[in-house]
Amino acid sequence: MGTINSALSMMTRALDADQEALNVVANNVANANTTGYTEEKPDWQENTPISVGGVLIGDGVTETGATSERDRVLEARLDQQQQMASASSTRLSALNNMQALFTPDSGSSSASAGDIGSDITSFFDSFSSLESAPTDNALREQVLSSASTLAGDISSAASSLNGQSAAIDQEASGMVSQVNSLTGAIAQLNLAIESASPNADAGTLEDQRQQDLSQLSQLVGINQVTTENNGLSVTTTSGQLLVSQGQNFQLTTGTVNGVTDFFLGGTDITSQLASGGGQLGGYLTARDVDIPGALSSLDQLAYSISTTVNAQNNAGTDLNGVTGTPTNPLYIFNEPAQAAGSAAAMSVIMTDPSQVAAAGAGNGTGDNSNAVAMAGLANGLIVNGQTPINYYSNFVSTLGSTVLEVQTENTAQNASVTQLQTQNNALSSVNLNDEAAAMSTLEKSYQAASQVFTLLNTIMASALNLGEETAVA
Amino acid sequence: MQELEAPAKNPELKELVVEASRALARLDAPRLEELALSCEALNQDLDSMDEGEKSDLARQAREAAPGMAVLGRVLAVTRANQNVMRRLREMRERRLEYSERQIRGAPDAGLEAEAVDGDD
Repeated sequence: MGTINSALSMMTRALDADQEALNVVANNVANANTTGYTEEKPDWQENTPISVGGVLIGDGVTETGATSERDRVLEARLDQQQQMASASSTRLSALNNMQALFTPDSGSSSASAGDIGSDITSFFDSFSSLESAPTDNALREQVLSSASTLAGDISSAASSLNGQSAAIDQEASGMVSQVNSLTGAIAQLNLAIESASPNADAGTLEDQRQQDLSQLSQLVGINQVTTENNGLSVTTTSGQLLVSQGQNFQLTTGTVNGVTDFFLGGTDITSQLASGGGQLGGYLTARDVDIPGALSSLDQLAYSISTTVNAQNNAGTDLNGVTGTPTNPLYIFNEPAQAAGSAAAMSVIMTDPSQVAAAGAGNGTGDNSNAVAMAGLANGLIVNGQTPINYYSNFVSTLGSTVLEVQTENTAQNASVTQLQTQNNALSSVNLNDEAAAMSTLEKSYQAASQVFTLLNTIMASALNLGEETAVA
Repeated sequence: MQELEAPAKNPELKELVVEASRALARLDAPRLEELALSCEALNQDLDSMDEGEKSDLARQAREAAPGMAVLGRVLAVTRANQNVMRRLREMRERRLEYSERQIRGAPDAGLEAEAVDGDD
């Protein structure tokens, strides 16, 4: 009988590829032609054809001099895909740093942000331990110690995220001079090309301009519009003019609410740049969307745990027989006034373990009912309608999904860049027949890949159904 | 005594999926056709698998799911690239039929400035 293994073994070549390898290949090919040289060929301008009975018949060609073979539609598509790949690559790098922050380090004994999940469990477990001996000082110290670890790790995570945001902000603002330099160069080349065209070949100048455009599109999302005499206007993807003929428009920066914003002609275009692509788009998406999102989740977690635990401790009686009041509260954590900023500010303010209110109000100091209530908060829906540990797990899981999604996009975009580079190379150096062959390869590859995808989809759907049936049986 | 050859490593579904994405990125049509044949053979084998093989295939399918998402996206961008190349081909063929002067005078002279088609 044929088996899955025998069937797969029909593939005779080594299958050592993995996702990383695919990215590396794509990047290598994408960066292979950094010189931007386009082969020059004689240009055979066709003479006006003659119409005979409705059929156009050409009447020969005249050699008009060398021009560079290029096609701006393809180059524009290549630039577009490169800027998207740049954006997702930059964003992915930032997301990976974030994810690393929340990944438990099994080899380390020191507390870290990656331990927040186990910190939450340990903190509420410390109240469960206190239930059995509510007057035990060591168990009370354990409550404060685990509270301190939890607060420290949440605060440290917030601090790291803020640090990542500041570093990204610096990287992003540092790119402005590169963008302005490139748009200035493109404007100058526009003038030179327009003065050369159409009477002389501007091939080398056009190659230089294409190189600058490629570099610019890696930095920031752009659109290109061809004007007369091979001139070029460049706008951001949202339409703000960066280059028009021989003039470039400078990008400037300014500090708004503690972060760098980007301006063009006095208009703040930061959000447009964030969604526009290029490294700058990737940086700004990470700085303005991903990191604030993670910080907001941590703030909510810190706020809910701090306020709920404080309120519960305040409702009980401590070992000294004291019950908290509004003016003299028995708070374990510093009480946040609002969710925003709660994570960074989270800390333990209680220093005396006897102030842990294990007893219910009016039940005497040996009672444990408030410790039971404190331990029960672990299963209470106290953070946005979820238990603390579920809320944190969902946050980490969502972050992981975002990383995977961006990774998928990035891989696909790099593959697209690889394909377009291959086609662009064919277009720059071969005749029309070879170009047709290159097109045919693209179509054949697509058709075969579609077939592979459809078959795999069928196999996987069947396999998963088979697996479920097996599990039920 | 002749030494037994080490058994060849049998690739798993996830490796096949990644290989398909890589081949498509490189536009390696022969490799993709080879992979399609392998998939067809595997598809035919499904009915005759025993319980152990079914269970193993289900595990492989779960592990291959993220790779399938990548392959799906690479297919989508390839289709968009194909559209761009088709349009280019049409433009270049038109240049063979009409003179440079006529193209300049034609209503669709601004083809080069058209927005590029894309799925993304």
